[in-house]
Amino acid sequence: MRILRSVSIAFVLVVQLASQSAYQERDFLTRVRRLTVEGRRAGEGYWSPDGRRLVFQSEREPGNPFYQIYVLDLMSGDTKRISPGIGKTTCAFFRPGTDEIEFASTHADPKSKQYQEDELAFRASGKERRYAWDYDPEMDIYAYSEKTGALKRLTEARGYDAEGSYSPDGQWIVFTSMRDAYNRQLSEKEKKQLDTDPSYFAEIYIMRADGSGQRRLTTVAGYDGGPFFTPDGKQIVWRRFDESGLIANVWMMNPDGSNQRQITDFGSMSWAPYMHPSGQYIIFASNKLGFENFELFIVDPEGKKEPVRVTYSDGFDGLPVPSPDGKTLAWTSSRSGGSAGQLFLAQWNHEKAVEALRNAPPKKPSNKS
Amino acid sequence: MTTTTDGTQRAQRAQGRLNSVFSAISAFLISPFLISAFSICAPSAAPQSKTKTYVQTLASERLEGRLAGSNGERLAAEFIAGELKRIGAQPLPGQRDYRLPFEFTAGTKDGGSRVMIGQETFSTETDVRALSFSDNGDVTGELVFAGYGIVVPGSQDFGYDSYATLDVKDKVVLVLRYFPEDAEQKTKAILARYADLRYKAMAARQRGAKAVLVVTGPRSPNAGETIPMSFDTALAGSGIVAASISGAVAKGIFDAIPGKTLQDAQQALDSANPHVAGFAIPNVTVTVHAMVQREKKTGNNVAAYLPSTTDVAGVAKPWIALGAHYDHLGHGEAGNTLAAKEDASKIHFGADDNASGSAAVLAAAATLATQPRHRNVLVAFWSGEELGLIGSGAFAAKPPIPLDAIAAYLNFDMVGRMQDNKLTIQATGTSPAWAKVIEQSNIAAGFDLLLQPDPYQPTDVATFNSSGVPSLTFFTGTHADYHKPSDTADKIDYEDLDRIVDFATAIAKRIGDLADAPQFTKVEQQTQPGAGRAGVRVFTGTIPDYSTEVKGLLLSGVIGGGPAEQAGLQKGDVIVEIAGQTIANIYDYTYALDVLKIGQPAKVVYIRNGQRRETTLTPAARK
Repeated sequence: MRILRSVSIAFVLVVQLASQSAYQERDFLTRVRRLTVEGRRAGEGYWSPDGRRLVFQSEREPGNPFYQIYVLDLMSGDTKRISPGIGKTTCAFFRPGTDEIEFASTHADPKSKQYQEDELAFRASGKERRYAWDYDPEMDIYAYSEKTGALKRLTEARGYDAEGSYSPDGQWIVFTSMRDAYNRQLSEKEKKQLDTDPSYFAEIYIMRADGSGQRRLTTVAGYDGGPFFTPDGKQIVWRRFDESGLIANVWMMNPDGSNQRQITDFGSMSWAPYMHPSGQYIIFASNKLGFENFELFIVDPEGKKEPVRVTYSDGFDGLPVPSPDGKTLAWTSSRSGGSAGQLFLAQWNHEKAVEALRNAPPKKPSNKS
Repeated sequence: MTTTTDGTQRAQRAQGRLNSVFSAISAFLISPFLISAFSICAPSAAPQSKTKTYVQTLASERLEGRLAGSNGERLAAEFIAGELKRIGAQPLPGQRDYRLPFEFTAGTKDGGSRVMIGQETFSTETDVRALSFSDNGDVTGELVFAGYGIVVPGSQDFGYDSYATLDVKDKVVLVLRYFPEDAEQKTKAILARYADLRYKAMAARQRGAKAVLVVTGPRSPNAGETIPMSFDTALAGSGIVAASISGAVAKGIFDAIPGKTLQDAQQALDSANPHVAGFAIPNVTVTVHAMVQREKKTGNNVAAYLPSTTDVAGVAKPWIALGAHYDHLGHGEAGNTLAAKEDASKIHFGADDNASGSAAVLAAAATLATQPRHRNVLVAFWSGEELGLIGSGAFAAKPPIPLDAIAAYLNFDMVGRMQDNKLTIQATGTSPAWAKVIEQSNIAAGFDLLLQPDPYQPTDVATFNSSGVPSLTFFTGTHADYHKPSDTADKIDYEDLDRIVDFATAIAKRIGDLADAPQFTKVEQQTQPGAGRAGVRVFTGTIPDYSTEVKGLLLSGVIGGGPAEQAGLQKGDVIVEIAGQTIANIYDYTYALDVLKIGQPAKVVYIRNGQRRETTLTPAARK
């Protein structure tokens, strides 16, 4: 390679951040690899039960600036869109033991195409805005059949229904709904709240896999969202925001809504929890170290220990999902530059994670809570 | 044989002994472990690296750092050609050999320059030596002493013009080397910028002088000495006869003027007082015979192809190309070493730069040769990259296959030092097709990819980008051994280099199998490559071709969205005049940039297809 004459030579250096922990990222994550390249951003990768595929959302559909849902075959490298291609979608999940994949979508909204064009025009204008999820009230949950391509609508309620995931036996879906903001008379204060931050009304619900028996599990003000069953199906782990929408923590409860308990207490935004298949720890993301610097952490299910930091890279690291065998981690990161996240994979060192938590000090209570 | 080489060999013999002792001990210590490892959990033999032998051979002592035009380069080309034959690749259509020679200027020396003053002739190199950029020829004329021969462009708000009061038309100009010695620092800094010998020669030429003679003044460093030939791959003469003369010759000249000495004349000028003028030297006629021998050397690109296994009739763009430069720095002769002085003339093995990339292309070709192919696969090994992309430039200037028949070009430059699984892919902005192909291929390859859209990189990918070919270049990052003799084969990470080969092979296969060739996208560039002189403030968006001998500035491309593109200039145009300044070569052009004003339209005269044309270019501010 020729010596570059201008100053812009791209030195690729690995900057090792100073850290107080005895552990570094490479203790937990090795062979980090970037999985998605195409499109503006991608994320929320969830494993098929056999660990051979991932379902994820990506802004890569020509003519549609919003997320659509894709299935990626890790054996062949082939990617297939399974969502309708119109409107916004989010949060897909494989239904164990079947050919179904659930996700949330706004394609039934007749205004969907207009929104797409408006957003494309806005982007073409060169203006920028902070990335924000808009909790579209037309969002509903659907189940897609990979065999027939048929799409079955599971929720009908006005208000954002999304963030669904199946129980390990495939019989139940836990999800987030904001229907509470639309199915009753709101006070003046609540109306104002709905305008500025609809997620305030989000609560955790459960339903059967066919959409029947929808039931509310949480009732506390502030955004309850992102619920997942634990691998044994006996618990639900989710994140609960306070009323300000700035502080969030990892919580657990029984599938009937009983025994709700707080696991983390950073006094920052701790969210996207997912239980490791071993059941020994929860992986989650928090911006404890800086408002826009989300890192991954692990914590024991009882929340007795101080969480252990896993990632040490600039930018966003979040939405961690371990593979069914617990040996690989899929997560969303902006570590390769830019503000938009892409899907990453790495080998996960389970033994090191267990050891690090064993050595971790008892939980320090946050002074903010 | 030089003492340095002796030293190197001694060191290496010692190293060899050390190695054999060490390996004897370690083999003894670890052999039980190895046996158990192989018998329990590994296949009977460790898998053979696809690239190690290639790198070790190319980066061996015998190939002496593969400097373009050297014996080492010739041996390397021979080795590559042999491997291509073994793989079953064929010489390109219409070629009988894998080697595609190209000529370039590797250096300059004086070919017997002389100066005659009156009846006296000076002909030794201690008395007269042509400047490396001189035109060859004989010139006779009256003499004018033009001080330091410095002209500061009006745009600099600093009035200094050695020619302000002089008429030098059809005369021979005598100037001092360097710049006024006693000027205050700030003034010096300005004058120094315009004191380059090429710039002085251009200033004299533009005022109609026939020749310029340079003398190193008695009050300057190197007083009275002629100026050594500079290493210069550039190539065109500067459009004027130019030579340096000794203090003795200058004395001969000044002896003709009663009461004046060079010493006094220099002293008067050394305060940089702009009102101290030069003067004509009456009654002296000088004849300058300048002769520069430009040492032409021949470099060799090596290229072959794997014909498609299916009929390519009707296939859009029926070629894909993989390439890497195989030349390196030799013994650092070309001055582009980064080694400390005592190591600068040792062999620069260039294992990572770029035996690694060459090995990757060979290994990828070996794999592709065994697979069905729906496009012809061109595999190319460039020489002269380290001297300024000369080899790939020569290929693109006279392409043996049409460049617009190439669907995509994959370049490999420094791919042997992977860290933390990070692989950089540059030039991804050259096609919208890349994201999908890279994503699909990386599912199996599993790299932590860093993608950079910018194709204006200091490697051969720039050549193909300029030719409108969708391109990628692979890079594992720079390191402390970059451009030093310590870039050796033992430091290469062969396991990951082999993974890069698999990855690139998969990309090549996917592109080769596409029904539609990838679209080319022109990437806009923010900053101007090349020149990089401190203080150049204007941006014209031209990409000069450094590798040819055209009179004028040949453009190897224009930067997308830049002023040159907006002015309608394009690749292949030769700029001969800008803002009233004639341009004989790239140096003139660089100096002409100083005269340009941001936002003020300037007339550009250029040659396209042999026709002289004009346009207006509005320089932008350099970011």
